Amino acid sequence: MIGDWIGHHHSHRDSLVARLPAGLKLGLALVIIVGTVLAPPQAMGWFLGVALLLLVAVVLSRIPLLFLLKRLAWLSPLVLGVALVNALQPAARGSWLTVAARSAICLLTIILVSNTTPFSRILRVLKSARVPGLLITTLALMHRYLFVLVEEAERMRRARASRTFTPRRGARWQTLSTVVGQLFVRASERAERIYDAMCARGWK
Amino acid sequence: MNTAIQVANLSYRYHDGTEALRGVSFSVQQGECVAVLGPNGSGKSTLLLHLNGLLPEKLGWNGAVGILGQPVTPDNIDTVRRQVGLVFQDPDDQLFCPSVGEDVAFGPQQLGLSEAEVNARVQKALAQAGLTGFARRATHHLSHGEKRRACLAGVLACEPTVLVLDEPTSDLDPRGRREFKALLRRIPATKVIATHDLELVVELSSRAIVLDRGAVVAEGPVTELLNNEELMLAHGLERPHILRHSHPHGEDT
Amino acid sequence: MHIPDGFIDGKTAATTALLSAAGVGLALRQVRRRLAPRRVPLLGLAAAFLFAAQMVNFPVAGGTSGHLLGGVLAAALLGPSAAIVVLTTVLIVQCFLFADGGVLALGANIFNMAIVGVAGGYTIYRGVCRALPGTRGQVAAVAFAGWCSTVLASISCAGQLAWSGTVAWPAGFTAMALVHMLIGIGEGLIGALVFLAIQRTRPDLTGESNGSAPSRRWGEWVGYGLLAVLGIAVFVAPFACPWPDGLESVAAKLGFDHRAVHLRVPAPAPDYQMPGVRWAAGATALAGAAGTVVVFGLALLLARWLVREPGVDPRLTRP
Repeated sequence: MIGDWIGHHHSHRDSLVARLPAGLKLGLALVIIVGTVLAPPQAMGWFLGVALLLLVAVVLSRIPLLFLLKRLAWLSPLVLGVALVNALQPAARGSWLTVAARSAICLLTIILVSNTTPFSRILRVLKSARVPGLLITTLALMHRYLFVLVEEAERMRRARASRTFTPRRGARWQTLSTVVGQLFVRASERAERIYDAMCARGWK
Repeated sequence: MNTAIQVANLSYRYHDGTEALRGVSFSVQQGECVAVLGPNGSGKSTLLLHLNGLLPEKLGWNGAVGILGQPVTPDNIDTVRRQVGLVFQDPDDQLFCPSVGEDVAFGPQQLGLSEAEVNARVQKALAQAGLTGFARRATHHLSHGEKRRACLAGVLACEPTVLVLDEPTSDLDPRGRREFKALLRRIPATKVIATHDLELVVELSSRAIVLDRGAVVAEGPVTELLNNEELMLAHGLERPHILRHSHPHGEDT
Repeated sequence: MHIPDGFIDGKTAATTALLSAAGVGLALRQVRRRLAPRRVPLLGLAAAFLFAAQMVNFPVAGGTSGHLLGGVLAAALLGPSAAIVVLTTVLIVQCFLFADGGVLALGANIFNMAIVGVAGGYTIYRGVCRALPGTRGQVAAVAFAGWCSTVLASISCAGQLAWSGTVAWPAGFTAMALVHMLIGIGEGLIGALVFLAIQRTRPDLTGESNGSAPSRRWGEWVGYGLLAVLGIAVFVAPFACPWPDGLESVAAKLGFDHRAVHLRVPAPAPDYQMPGVRWAAGATALAGAAGTVVVFGLALLLARWLVREPGVDPRLTRP
């Protein structure tokens, strides 16, 4: 589940799209997303044009189609919710179909960018966009230790589960909250060691 | 002056009051390789953290630790950290950058070197660690052995005079161990290695210090110490097999 | 509660982005000033922790499971400013790495979850801690504040959806608030359990560990609180105000054109409307008010059950 969910391994697949500079991809993505959100429902030309561009990009990026479709499918409950609520009380901005179309296009755009661009490049673009340094450092460290902690959590959960013999839900909650609590304690201790490691190589 | 490290009567207490180090004293000559042995919880890691001023948290002026003839004080802490390279026990703690190249470049960048110099140091350090071509690899995709070598490269890039390593071969498979050992052998710096790997100790170090419950209980030439079975067993260690038989794979593989 | 792109319109995205930038900027400034350098990596690690924790499935019934969002937990452990930075980091990574939450909607998501959720939640947390000292008080506070922060964030979200014209307010508010009153129970419960688990192994991490006296931190979150209130006023008040005509007449008397404030608030189609939807919204609001009291009581019971002795007031044992 984790390996699939974290589509990170796709970002190391080489393709024409992957080789484009990160700044260009992000800039283009922003243009597409802003345009799609602002375009009135009648602007079919825009929607179709963008959809075509994205289709070409999908092919060129060599991202597996199934992965994309599964990811897009996650939008459906939200769109369904909007449709349901709009059936009870219509909203002013156009039907749920427009919402679905807009969000699908924007989602596809961001999936394409995130799966063809290493996160550190994205951070570099953000840095040049004058995002504060402390936030960049925090983002970088989060990204670096994300998988470390997720794996640690998985190991702890498995170790606990192998010693849990009662199927009671209460016991599960107890186990899981202990695991999560331990995860924070370990993360906190690791943060101190990282600080030491940074200082050991001259960080101020 | 020939003394690389001088530790005089070093004591340290944790926050909860437990004594981690009790009056530890020893010295290391330049070019030597000294092993720090002891059971778990004996204070090896704590001692190593004192060697580049990471401990005590509030660095004082008492100068219990001297590096290259100078006591470690708040004034010269930067110099000390340049001279003493510390390789941590958990490579994930030390490899905090997303790619190997960036991580190895961290130290030289902190030193304020130009981009060209940083690149040169990175390439050299990677070569020394047997990781040529690894600059663009993501840190979390490395194998355990590669991570340990990347940590070493990151420290070597700072060109320290003294190399301090905390359990460098733990969790390594036999080949990883042999490769790492060969790497260390090629590095001319003064070395202090805290380890459980007694075979490594025999093959690399000339002298050893045994810590137990925060105090130095023995010190001397490696063969002499490690052959003393009684001493070894008394302090949670043992006489390594390498001293009983000859190593099946020879010296370097 | 991550809003994808396309669900909110341009003006909402822009407004929330501005408010969020202000809030996060404020938080970063506070963190730079107050956080010991030793704890800087903790921000990144805490963000990674929250992400990993959010992936843990707490089984509820059938196939459903509860998850932790962690805003109040983070605030209780790290302080409100650090919590805002940490939550923002999590949301940015979720957006750019996992396409969870839109790019333009990032401002809204940060505003709802990192600012409203944290500021509102932390205020309530501190309030309850003051009223009930000791570990028991802290546990009850985390539980209750966790629930409140979830509901508050969802109301803010509903307001944004309504302002964008995606979902009309009464129905949107009803749906979001009711659902999140339920989800909030999970948040409060899990938050409390995790907080207690941490407190048992490392009580020093759950004290007022940021080194700044509690009274000094009131200033911080007054800033955030104002920001949150301002945002809610912009997104929620136009809809929730029961006397819009009264508001307009006052505005007219003050010579203030209300249209300038409301910009392009889309009027819900006056002709067609399912009967009872407005009633449902009102009923939800009442249920929410009653629910708050009930949940507070439940939080107290929970704390009493989990913590055998009341424990010492952590503020008294601070080194």
